[in-house]
Amino acid sequence: ANTAQAQDSVRWRMPIAFPSTLPGLASPAPWVAKRLNEISDGSIQIRVSEPGKIVPPFDILDAVSDGKVSAGYTWVGYDQGKVPAIPLFAAVPFGMKPWAFMGWYYFDEGHNLVQEVYANAGYNVHAELCGIIGPETAGWYREPIESLDDYKGLKIRFAGLGGRVLEKLGASVTMMPGGELFQALETGTIDATEFSLPIIDQILGFNKVVKYNLFPGWHQQFTAQYMLINKDDWNALGENQRSQIDTACMAATTYALSESEAKNGKVLMEFQDKGVHTAQIPEPVLKELRATTREVMQEEASKNEDFKRVWESQKEFMKQYKVWGERAYLKPEMMLGGEEANN
Amino acid sequence: MTLEAILVIAMFATFGLILLTGFPVAWALAGTAVIYGIAGHVLVADFGANLWFNWGSSVELFPERIWPLVSSPTLVALPMFIFMGIMLDRSGVAERLMKNMVTLFGVVRGGYAVTVIIIGVLLAATTGIIGASVVLLGMLSLPVMLKTGYNKSLAVGTACATGTLGILIPPSIMLVIMADRLARPETSVGDLFLGAVFPGVLLGGLYISYVLILAWVRPNAAPVPKDVPKVTPRVVANALWAAAPTAGLILAVLGSIFMGVATPTEASGVGAAGAMLLAIANRRMSFEVLRDSLYQTTRTSSFIFAIFLGATAFSVVLRNLGGDQVIEEALLGLPFNNYGILATILFVTFLLGFFLDWVEITLIILPLVAPVVEGMGFNLAWFTIMFAVCLQTSFLTPPVGFALFYIKGVCPPEINTIDIYKGVLPYILLQLTGLAAVFFWPGLVTWLPSVAFN
Amino acid sequence: MSKDDSNESAQGFHIPEGELDFHHHTELPDTAASLALDRTIGSVGKLISWLWLAVVAVILISVISRYVFGQGSIMLEELTWHIYGIAWPIGLAYTLVTDDHVRVDVLHERMALKTQAWIEVIGLIVLLLPFLGLVLYYSLPYAYDSFIRGETSQAPSGLPYRFLLKSIIPLSMVLLAVAVIARISRCTALLFGFPKPRRQTTSVH
Ligand code: NA
Ligand code: NA
Repeated sequence: ANTAQAQDSVRWRMPIAFPSTLPGLASPAPWVAKRLNEISDGSIQIRVSEPGKIVPPFDILDAVSDGKVSAGYTWVGYDQGKVPAIPLFAAVPFGMKPWAFMGWYYFDEGHNLVQEVYANAGYNVHAELCGIIGPETAGWYREPIESLDDYKGLKIRFAGLGGRVLEKLGASVTMMPGGELFQALETGTIDATEFSLPIIDQILGFNKVVKYNLFPGWHQQFTAQYMLINKDDWNALGENQRSQIDTACMAATTYALSESEAKNGKVLMEFQDKGVHTAQIPEPVLKELRATTREVMQEEASKNEDFKRVWESQKEFMKQYKVWGERAYLKPEMMLGGEEANN
Repeated sequence: MTLEAILVIAMFATFGLILLTGFPVAWALAGTAVIYGIAGHVLVADFGANLWFNWGSSVELFPERIWPLVSSPTLVALPMFIFMGIMLDRSGVAERLMKNMVTLFGVVRGGYAVTVIIIGVLLAATTGIIGASVVLLGMLSLPVMLKTGYNKSLAVGTACATGTLGILIPPSIMLVIMADRLARPETSVGDLFLGAVFPGVLLGGLYISYVLILAWVRPNAAPVPKDVPKVTPRVVANALWAAAPTAGLILAVLGSIFMGVATPTEASGVGAAGAMLLAIANRRMSFEVLRDSLYQTTRTSSFIFAIFLGATAFSVVLRNLGGDQVIEEALLGLPFNNYGILATILFVTFLLGFFLDWVEITLIILPLVAPVVEGMGFNLAWFTIMFAVCLQTSFLTPPVGFALFYIKGVCPPEINTIDIYKGVLPYILLQLTGLAAVFFWPGLVTWLPSVAFN
Repeated sequence: MSKDDSNESAQGFHIPEGELDFHHHTELPDTAASLALDRTIGSVGKLISWLWLAVVAVILISVISRYVFGQGSIMLEELTWHIYGIAWPIGLAYTLVTDDHVRVDVLHERMALKTQAWIEVIGLIVLLLPFLGLVLYYSLPYAYDSFIRGETSQAPSGLPYRFLLKSIIPLSMVLLAVAVIARISRCTALLFGFPKPRRQTTSVH
């Protein structure tokens, strides 16, 4: 590189919220760092810092906004307590499928809204969608959920807005730390837990202690990760560097979604071989869950102007998307090859 | 040598020198962090050094790194277990338990130390927080062992080493983080937890054997208390009766976890409440006892938290100076191509354990070596447990051996740091023996998960 | 455990017998300032020590309500560590006053009292105070930002007003700095006779 380029080159440490070994959820971070280094010919150098090495996971947003680090890679839903509207960009109960969310984000209002929401909450960051994965499982249970009553008194670990929904339905919801989950589930301190994708849940070993893995993941149909960049640092970049970052992140979104689509099926088949029942939550129960979710979303919207605005935008988008989405796709069992799989 | 390497070595050397002056450990860590934070900043800003050091992502982040210590649901167990230990000590309950357990062992020399190890193994099954278990065991056992005429080093070494078993025997936050870092189904939290059970118990067994043999060879090191009655069924019955409440408490804490009544963190609070009840039942509870126990809980917890504080500042500066890269490169420079590689990795881990704590080592090395180990066709869970045993040992190896600091904080004044070093030395060798056993019999790790999950 | 009866006079505030079980390395003289400051910090430290009982109580209520009444509560879970998170940071200064922060005494205990005092005063000024200053400087905006942004728990039914707990970090640094200044005055009293030593304490061991 010549001198002019070398002067403009940036060296960023990028803390991440999950170990980069976790597929889809965090694996795009080192991928994007490496790609950026390559495509920018060294003008953007990023070193990924594993969780807690530099910045504790829950403080990535603040650290980036304050310029303590220039960039961070995180599931922004962690910042619900600081930016009430942010869960809508991270994971929405009864929300969109991943590619519908991408449609809203890239071709509708999503990308601009996330910048506004952060600015309105007083954060000096630029956000780039930089990874998205498919639905989580609805969790791991000792017994299947057959009616709404089964949630009453159920001791369950359930994060986010979904937790509020279950609480309203009489469940005893906790937020205990990930490290205590296996033991708590094994000994019956909790009856059930949700965590993430099957491919990630198996690392925590839930399938070894309880046998019902429920679907669909109504509480989290998509899970989106963002690269957060300090706004001053973002503005100081050259035009080409900014394009390199937004291109790399767009590619990382594809990378993450592909990885999660590619790997979870195999894990589920293995679960089935090991005696795990992959059961569906019955349709009537889902409808009740949705009704309660609607209440929770309305409560949130009434508390926060930005939440309301983003939620309206997403609902508006879904109205037109529904016409297309419910007609256009074949169910997987209708696809050639799909019919041979036993469910 | 690279600038990073020089800085990293200098940082450790500075810390070591400050430690030797006798300035408090916690503030030696914090101060070294500040000095090298400033040094790194000056080198980059004024001398244009080619470092990734950044003031913003090191020193400015101190509050962010302190916050998780303030807001940790898991660490609540630390003051709770400490309070439990102080309460048991103050109320005379602990001493009675120890005395009666020794009666059961009758004329067996080393009875107290064996009792400590058994209690320690049970305690390890309730908590993974080394600070809590080391301090608790030290408070329960050191006074009575010294009164009985135990060799100082033996007494303190036993309490200190036994207290570190908690990080290996599940529940163990270390194993959880390792599972997370490895992110492979065969090393899930469940597999590692079960895999660690036998190695953990084996280490406890080795400790006990060592104490018994030592007491037999050197009777003066671990004498039998003078007033021990002959073992008759009546004596046994009396002893069991007298020991029952405390043993019951420990079992209740364990039981509340295994019965699913409480999480490990909650169990610590249940234990603290139980200890107060025992003191009341023992007619030793008074306002003064309660008050003093609470005051001491604060001071004991705070000296441990101060070390956490210093350590978190130290490590973020170290990483910014390139500590990770230095260690990674050194490790990658090793000959990675023969069967002895496993032993080499474990040995290097053991050596690093003298200077770094388990979090650092786990974060830096485990992801680096896991693919290598896997590539050679070894069972990764087996390797990880051996790795974990090495890291448990790191708590005992000076100069940076956190269990040594914790035990020092609760030692009677006649025990000094040298006594502690001497005391843990045999246990470090026992750790290596246990490691060798696991190395040669992988079944110790792999058998239990294979039967439990099928 | 041994009783260290010298502490009553050494600390300048009333400590009942048996309360302090730890070995005290540096028998520094008191000064008028250190007596007053240490007494204040001691009282604060003792006061917050009662919070441990509250932690026990909240844990018990939480466990009982989940098992007996089948109702868990994220709020109670969070309350546990909120109380804990107040107690230990405040306790840091109290622990400094009672000189319970752990030292490696391999060489330290063979040193003359004056040497120990030199190490102590240099260490406090060069190592500890800068650390406290930096943490204070950067934790004030950390807590303040939490306040202006109205940060609450990230759990939907968790506790609000997170800035209160975050303010513990700067507060504990201020208390620690006060304790450090008191201790520095005790070192300089021994080394230079300034400020005037109140009493020369002697070790009973
Ligand atoms: Na443990
Ligand atoms: Na060590």
